[in-house]
Amino acid sequence: MTTATGATTPPTRTLASRRRTAPAGHLGALLAVAAAVFLALPVATLVIRAAAVLSAVGGAAARAVADALVLSLLTTAASLVLVVGLGLPLAWWLARRPPRGAALVETLVDLPIVLPPSVAGLALLLVFGRRGLLGEPLALVGIAIPFTTVAVVVAQAFVAAPFFVRAARAGIRAVDRDLEDAARVDGAAESAVVRHVTIPLAASALSAGLVMAWARALGEFGATIMFAGNIAGRTQTLPLLVYSEFQGSLDASLVAAAILAVAAAGVLVAVRLGARRAGDVTA
Amino acid sequence: MRDSGRDPGVGRARAAARLAAIALTVAACASSSAGVGGSARPRPTDAGSGSAAPPAGRIELTVFAAASLRDALGAAVAAYETASPGVAFALSFDASSALRAQVEQGAPVDVFASADTQNPEALVRAGLAGPPVPFAGNGLAIVVPAANPARIASPADLARPGVRIVNAGPEVPITAYAAALLANLARLPGYPPGYVAAVAANVVSREDNVRVVLAKVQLGEADAGIVYATDAASAGAAVTTIPIPVAAAVVATYAAVVPTAAPHPAAAAAFVDWLAGPAGRGILARFGFTAPAP
Repeated sequence: MTTATGATTPPTRTLASRRRTAPAGHLGALLAVAAAVFLALPVATLVIRAAAVLSAVGGAAARAVADALVLSLLTTAASLVLVVGLGLPLAWWLARRPPRGAALVETLVDLPIVLPPSVAGLALLLVFGRRGLLGEPLALVGIAIPFTTVAVVVAQAFVAAPFFVRAARAGIRAVDRDLEDAARVDGAAESAVVRHVTIPLAASALSAGLVMAWARALGEFGATIMFAGNIAGRTQTLPLLVYSEFQGSLDASLVAAAILAVAAAGVLVAVRLGARRAGDVTA
Repeated sequence: MRDSGRDPGVGRARAAARLAAIALTVAACASSSAGVGGSARPRPTDAGSGSAAPPAGRIELTVFAAASLRDALGAAVAAYETASPGVAFALSFDASSALRAQVEQGAPVDVFASADTQNPEALVRAGLAGPPVPFAGNGLAIVVPAANPARIASPADLARPGVRIVNAGPEVPITAYAAALLANLARLPGYPPGYVAAVAANVVSREDNVRVVLAKVQLGEADAGIVYATDAASAGAAVTTIPIPVAAAVVATYAAVVPTAAPHPAAAAAFVDWLAGPAGRGILARFGFTAPAP
């Protein structure tokens, strides 16, 4: 009776068919549409209004948006390098050589995902700030990280790394270890096993994690404004520009916001396409 | 069989270390190039640059300024850049209190231009800044959306129940000025006892800085807000200004300091002198700023 067809046989109604025709069913559909509109309408309105004002954004505001876009692209690229360079070995270690207390390490690594960004910003200041745990000794040798472009990268890497580490850990764990062992038996060095067996097999998980980490880094706001400040051309990334220009040129704010919205949509499409390709491979 | 992985473990660690080193190097390169490219104001190195500028050629002054200075300081800085080749600016606007906190946390700031004298003085007391230089004055304005949905005609109407007022946060300079204005108004004839408390009860939101207050009024999210006279002027026809009795007027004094940790203290001091001098004051006056109270 899973393929319940006629709803016109009241006496022998199945539970499924009753659900379909009951008023509650219509209400459910209505709520579903309302929810979809609620989620889609603000972003759609934003993009449409931004498109309308695009030509009206004057030279100075357009330059501010361009500056912030360039800064966002450069800092997210740098933070991704940091995330992969440090995150891949960590994910590998957690997946392949889980130490005693690995669960605790995994929880700590995941923490920035659920941590409010302002908390992350404050915590980063406590470590790298003027009187911070590492900031004070670093200042003695003339290195100051807070309120610099480097601080933007640090904040982005801090909040984005867990997304990559999580995905990479799961991806590496899912690789059939017999395939790795087969390569070793054939005389492959450990680095060759990683490069030619593990990473290619985990590639879709790694790239999905990379895309999510990039998206999180691109959208970073709270930790950045607290730890790196909001200095035009130096630490003012696109999300900070949206906030700043809301107090100045609303048009510039709209355009920057729309760029972020389109980038976010691109991320979702990329993840979806990646997942579909991965599905084709395993099928 | 899996033990075969133990042998090349050293190589793996070395590969990981190499990866980390590459990551850090690339991050450092990318961010330093962002610092140059991001400012998007490349200037030729000019040996004959202004007398106060260090011999390094082009320098970039980092100026943290009160949100209400956004338009005026932007124009002042553009004029200064033209007059002094070799000096460029990186600007950050927010509530003076928020910027003061960033200076305390070690932000590499050359000039901190505050909408009051208290925030600079707090830095001076902490040994974090040189002497404050008053450089501008400003009036206050009660603004309502152009459509004036709450039909506010005088400051007394702010106390009417149901009026939605948006203010700034407790640490923000405009909040102290607004409190002084309301206290002055409460002493005038025609203002009922409990006026200040009634207005306070109508405050529905506290924003990060005065420009957010202005934006909320412009968008019609608030029925009224208290901002600086210069903010009201910059909003043009989007807001209507409610006249304030002269007897209740409050004047804001803006002061600038050069933090002790300023990367370019000499050039910073030269800019502050220029801003407080006739040239700077002339530009600020175009945006409605007055001379600072003596």
